[in-house]
Amino acid sequence: MLVTGIKSKPVYAPLQADTRGRYHVMLAMGVGAAPLLRVIAEMQSAAARVLKNTRVLYVPDGGSATPEIERFRAAAVGNAQTFPGTPALLEEFRSTLARSLMGTRLYVAGPESFIGLAMKIALEFNLNKDEIRAEECGTSARRVYCIHCRATTENVRTNIVSCVGCARWLLVRDHYSRRLAAYMGVMVDAEAPGEVPPLKEMFL
Amino acid sequence: MNDAQTIAVEVIGIEEVTPLIKHFKLAAVAGGSLPVFSGGSHIIVVMQGADRVHKNPYSLLGSPQQLDTYEIGVRRMEESRGGSHFMHDRVVIGSRLEIAHPVNLFGLDKIARKHVLIAGGIGITPILAQLEDLHGGGVPYELHYSVRSAEHAAFLERLRRREGESLHMYYDNEGPMIGFETLLATQPLGTHVYVCGPAGMINHVIATAKACGWPDSHIHWEQFSAPPVGDAFEVFLARSKISVHVPPDQSLLESIEAAGVEVPYLCRGGVCGFCHTRVLELDGDLIHNDHFLSEADKAKVNSIMPCVSRAHCKRLVLDL
Repeated sequence: MLVTGIKSKPVYAPLQADTRGRYHVMLAMGVGAAPLLRVIAEMQSAAARVLKNTRVLYVPDGGSATPEIERFRAAAVGNAQTFPGTPALLEEFRSTLARSLMGTRLYVAGPESFIGLAMKIALEFNLNKDEIRAEECGTSARRVYCIHCRATTENVRTNIVSCVGCARWLLVRDHYSRRLAAYMGVMVDAEAPGEVPPLKEMFL
Repeated sequence: MNDAQTIAVEVIGIEEVTPLIKHFKLAAVAGGSLPVFSGGSHIIVVMQGADRVHKNPYSLLGSPQQLDTYEIGVRRMEESRGGSHFMHDRVVIGSRLEIAHPVNLFGLDKIARKHVLIAGGIGITPILAQLEDLHGGGVPYELHYSVRSAEHAAFLERLRRREGESLHMYYDNEGPMIGFETLLATQPLGTHVYVCGPAGMINHVIATAKACGWPDSHIHWEQFSAPPVGDAFEVFLARSKISVHVPPDQSLLESIEAAGVEVPYLCRGGVCGFCHTRVLELDGDLIHNDHFLSEADKAKVNSIMPCVSRAHCKRLVLDL
C-alpha cells in the first residue's frame, strides 16, 4: 500500500548547539527535556553568555511540575517555563516568535507530532532550515489529516484509522504536509467498499 | 546560452542620470513584448565593437509589469575593458544590440515577512525592479541607498515619488553612513536582506548580518565582477584539441568563444556558476576572481570559472 518511501516524510537529526545565533528558543515535550539539557550543557562549555538569551518552553509528561524545569533553571537559562499542555505552549511560542529578532535559533525536542506543530508555526514566521534544529523522541503517533472532510485525527498509532470528522476508514500515508503538520489520510476502501485491511499498530 | 537565443533590440531612449550613469531603454526590433522577468533579473548585452564583441551583464531596472521596453543603467567604469565605454560613447538612439533572455540570480524571497534592501551606487539597478515587485504586496520593506554625493544619486526622484518613507538616503560626502550593526540587529524574525553595490559594502553587510546571527538563507547579494585584466597565457582545450591564446585584456571565456568553442554561461560576472569548467593540467596558479567557488573548492585547484578568472602559468589544460 502507498505508505512508505515518500520523500515528504520529515527526517530529524540529534540537536546541536548553534552558537552563531544571538537568541535561542527551545521547546520540549516529555522526554524531549533530555536533548535540550544536552544542548544547554554544550552551550555552557562553548558560549555560556548565550544562555541568558535562551528561552525554554516545556510540557512535562503528565503536565505537573517536574525536576526537569529545575534543571533548566539551574543551568542559568534566561527564562524557563512549563505549560500544562501543547496548546498553551504553542500559544506562548507564537507570541515569542512575534517578538523575536533575526539571529534567533529554534530547537525542538519531543514526539514527531509535537515537532510538526512547532514547525508549522515556525514556517509562518519564515524560519528556514538553517534556523531550526529538531530531534525526535517519544511516541511516533501521527496527526492524520482527512483529505475528504479536512478533519485532523490526533494520536494515530495504526495503519488505518476511523476519521474523527467523517468516520471514513483512512489509510495513513507517509505523505506529510508541513503547512498542516499532518500526514495525509485517504479513504482506504473507496474503490472496493467494505474491503478494509486488518488494523495494525505501526506508529508507537 | 548561445547567441542563437538572443533577441534583437533597438535603443529607443538614453538619459544621462548622473555624471557616470546612463539609463537606456530598449525595445524589441520585431516589436511586441519582451520576455517576462522578475525583479532582480539581469540580461547579457552583446555589443559588436570595432575589433571585438563585448558581452556584459546589466540588471533590468524597469517594472516587470511593463514588457514593451527593458531598462538598464550603465555606469562608466574607469578601468573598462570596453563594454561600458561602448554603451556610453558609441550607442545612440536607434542603435541595435543583441540581448540574452533575462535570468534572475537575485530574486526576492516569496514568503519573507519583511525585506531590507541595501544599495550602493549603481547597485540600485536590480533593486529598482525588486521594489516594483514589492509595491502593493503588503509585505513591509525598507530601502537604504548610499551614494557618493547628491549628483551621483541615480533615479532619486523616481524613488522619492514611489517609495516615500521607505527610502533612507545616505551621502558619503555628508554623513551619517548606514548603521549596519543597528539595522541588522533589530530586524523582526523572517526578514531578508538584499545588498547590491561595491564589494566592500557587500562584504561588510554579509559579515555584519552573520555577526548578528543571521543565517545564510536570509542574506542575498549580487555583484557582477568585470573580468580583471591580467597576464597573457595559453590554454589547451582537451576535448576540442585546440590551443587558445588569452591576451591581457580579454577574459578566458571570451578567448575560448573567439576560438569558436561554446561554453555555457548565464551571468558572465562570476556569480551563477554556469561556466564552471574542470582544470585537467596546470603548471602555475589559478587566479580566481569569482564569487561562486568556495575557498575549499578554490584550494583544490581543479576547476575554474572562465568568465572572470585567469591563470598565471605556462600551460593550462581545460576539459572543453
